[in-house]
Amino acid sequence: MESPKGRGGNERLLLSVVVDDDESVRESLPDLLREFGFAARAFSSAEEFLSSGCLDETSCLILDIAMPGMSGPDLQHELKCRGREIPIIFITGQKDDAVRARVLKQGASGFLLKPFSDSDLLAAIKTALHST
Amino acid sequence: MNFVNAGLIGAIPQPRPNMNPQVQDPAQEVKRLQRCINNLVSLLALPAVWSGNEPSQIVQILLDTLLRMLDLDFICARLKDPVDAGLLEIVRVSDSHRLSIPLQDISRALNTWLEVDGRGSPPAIRHRFGDEDISIFPVPLGVDGDSGIIVVGSGRLDFPGQTDSLLLSVAANQASIGLQEARLLAEQKRIADELDRRVAERTGALAQANEELKKEIDGRKLAEERLLREERELKRSEVHKAAIVDSSADCIVAIDHEGRITEFNPAAEQTLGHRRNDVVGKHLADVIIPSSLREKHRMGFARYLTTGASRVLGRRLEMTALCADGREIPVELTITRIPQDGPLAFTGYIRDITERKRSEDSLRMAHAQVVRSEERWRSVFENSAVGVALTDLNGRFIATNLVYQKMLGYTDDELQQLTFLDITLEEDVEENRTLIGELLDEKRQQFQIEKQYRRKDGQPVWMRNNVSVVPGTERVPRFLMALSEDVTQRKLWEEALAKARSELAKVARITSLGVLTASIAHEINQPLSGIITNAGTCLRMLSADPPNVDGAQETVRRTIRDGNRASNVITRLRTLYSKKEPSPESMDLNDATREVVALTSSDLQRAGVMLRYELADDLPPVVGDRTQLQQVILNLLRNAADAMGTTDDRPRELLIRTQRDEGNQVRLSVKDSGVGFTPQTAEKIFDPFYTTKTDGMGIGLSISRSIIEAHQGRLWATPNDGPGATFSFAIPCTFEGLSETETRVNRSEPATDAA
Repeated sequence: MESPKGRGGNERLLLSVVVDDDESVRESLPDLLREFGFAARAFSSAEEFLSSGCLDETSCLILDIAMPGMSGPDLQHELKCRGREIPIIFITGQKDDAVRARVLKQGASGFLLKPFSDSDLLAAIKTALHST
Repeated sequence: MNFVNAGLIGAIPQPRPNMNPQVQDPAQEVKRLQRCINNLVSLLALPAVWSGNEPSQIVQILLDTLLRMLDLDFICARLKDPVDAGLLEIVRVSDSHRLSIPLQDISRALNTWLEVDGRGSPPAIRHRFGDEDISIFPVPLGVDGDSGIIVVGSGRLDFPGQTDSLLLSVAANQASIGLQEARLLAEQKRIADELDRRVAERTGALAQANEELKKEIDGRKLAEERLLREERELKRSEVHKAAIVDSSADCIVAIDHEGRITEFNPAAEQTLGHRRNDVVGKHLADVIIPSSLREKHRMGFARYLTTGASRVLGRRLEMTALCADGREIPVELTITRIPQDGPLAFTGYIRDITERKRSEDSLRMAHAQVVRSEERWRSVFENSAVGVALTDLNGRFIATNLVYQKMLGYTDDELQQLTFLDITLEEDVEENRTLIGELLDEKRQQFQIEKQYRRKDGQPVWMRNNVSVVPGTERVPRFLMALSEDVTQRKLWEEALAKARSELAKVARITSLGVLTASIAHEINQPLSGIITNAGTCLRMLSADPPNVDGAQETVRRTIRDGNRASNVITRLRTLYSKKEPSPESMDLNDATREVVALTSSDLQRAGVMLRYELADDLPPVVGDRTQLQQVILNLLRNAADAMGTTDDRPRELLIRTQRDEGNQVRLSVKDSGVGFTPQTAEKIFDPFYTTKTDGMGIGLSISRSIIEAHQGRLWATPNDGPGATFSFAIPCTFEGLSETETRVNRSEPATDAA
């Protein structure tokens, strides 16, 4: 599988960011993203991500919905408020159509129900990157 | 007339004489004379024969002798009784003579003949009797025939001859003398008898007189003695009476017919204060009768004197008496009339009844008080809102009030025929009996029992009974008292409540299961999600060229770890929901808490809740249903998290604390920093279906509370000093009968079963 490259032939890898309070997700998902050819970082909370200083580099955000403190949708809203148009793929363990519809309406590019397959994720990322 | 021929001494029977004696020869004549002399001798001997005989006997001897001696056909004697002038007639007829005429004719013929010459000595005649002529010859007896007459009859023509006349005349003389003697003798005898009789009579009279005299003397003696005795008695009695009068505790006042005092005994002096000497002779009315009653007394006295009618005599009267010092005292007065001759007199017995009145009054007051008290208690008894029943020690009803009767549908009378065990439902009898036994053995002073009675109409009724022994008194033996309430409605409610509770518990379990399912899904999804991601990564790493074996190994390790993590969730879940029926076990509340937290921690984390533990190290084990208690903890944690859902201005802090509590209890509390509650909702929050949440059913706390109460514990909420609230429950470390939510008997004041 070829690695996703930055625009303009930049050798620098695109950065995917995972925000999830669950540690196992933060462990496993970045490895998979790297296998996809992305650079990957993981944060345990929205607040942590916001203060990390890597918002500008982030090309794709894989975001948990229910988290202590600022939730996924809260972060989506916050980024929108800040004018950051980062493509967001929501991941959640709880099937909640209302939340799904709401976040999609707010501009989320994907919504994955845990557990999901690697190919589902890759497809979602591709969609997200192409949408922008 | 009876003719008896008596045998005669010396009477010689001789042949019938010749018709003419003058023609007889001299030899014949000698013989005749000799015979005559012999007959004379016989006649002279007659007095010796008849001496001492009665005249009639003398005459009979004479007649018989002559009849034979003179060869007569008949002979008749008529004797004059010199005493009564009566006539005695005796007739003899010869046996050999053939005289055919009846004796009556002879007598009649003689009457006729003798009447010719009233002088009584008619001449001899010949008279024809039947076919025969008979010579009849009278022989007077005594001087001039004053003793009577003898008439002889013979058929002989020469009759009476010379010798016949001689013999007859001698015989008549002899007879006269004999009769005279006999008469004299009889007279003498009569006189002697009379004398004897008179003597005897006189003697008898004298003896009687003597006897009477004696009697009279005796009587007089007796009378004298009696008189003497009576006199003594009287004296003694008088002394006695005087002593009685003087020593009597009652006042004795005697009055005469004018109402003047004649006697005034010492008791009267003492009671009424008058000296005897001062009042004797005065009018009773003036001395002791209060002026207000004086007129009445006078009128009554006057009425009695004139009409004899009295309303007061012999009766006990209560009245007022006047004392010398002017006091008026209540007295009991009895007036009796003195039974004596002469003018009327009366005795008045007066008793000072001041003390008696006083004690009567106090008795009356005491009695009235008792009656009031009795009425009051009866009223309390009758109007008591609870049923009251008094029974003897065997449980037989003595008295019941209306409420009690209504509860059971029996009348008081019907109940008195029953014991309370008779109408107690079979299943409760034994326990009831035991408790009564303990009561009577003084092992307990009272007991409470909730049990079912069978009403008169057959319906069971639940009654809560407070039974105690009422100690006996002198008059009343100890008895049992039951205060009873009809708790049927409450029992029905309780049953309904228990049913609702179990329904709710079921609902709650399902609800919390639903809530938990989401949480569990999350718990399991996390590791699953990790497993799948890691597995995918692993595959890609191995498919790379060259394969990233180190990376693949790492991802496989993570896969295994997450698989175990998922497995643990399942295990815990199974533990939590495996049991269907509540069952008590000894358990560590800290462990149970940790398990619950493990299931919910991620949930809480996601809700932004900071969870802290303060679990006591020395927590004793509790006995309870693990699943139920964990449901309660889970419920409290979820409530706390929900209460903090909108808390943004401060940390969402949740503190779980366990600790030992007083009274061998263990307490668990969950403190949050959420919205808290107002005092108005403090109790409401435990009501079923009360909720502040949009998605809640509002049964969590209600169910939790009933679970904790079933563990004989309590669940409560307190507002924090700062924001939020603290929910706590405390349960005993040991308790009896988890599933029995109510104990049938509340054994109050147990004396023996304290252990």
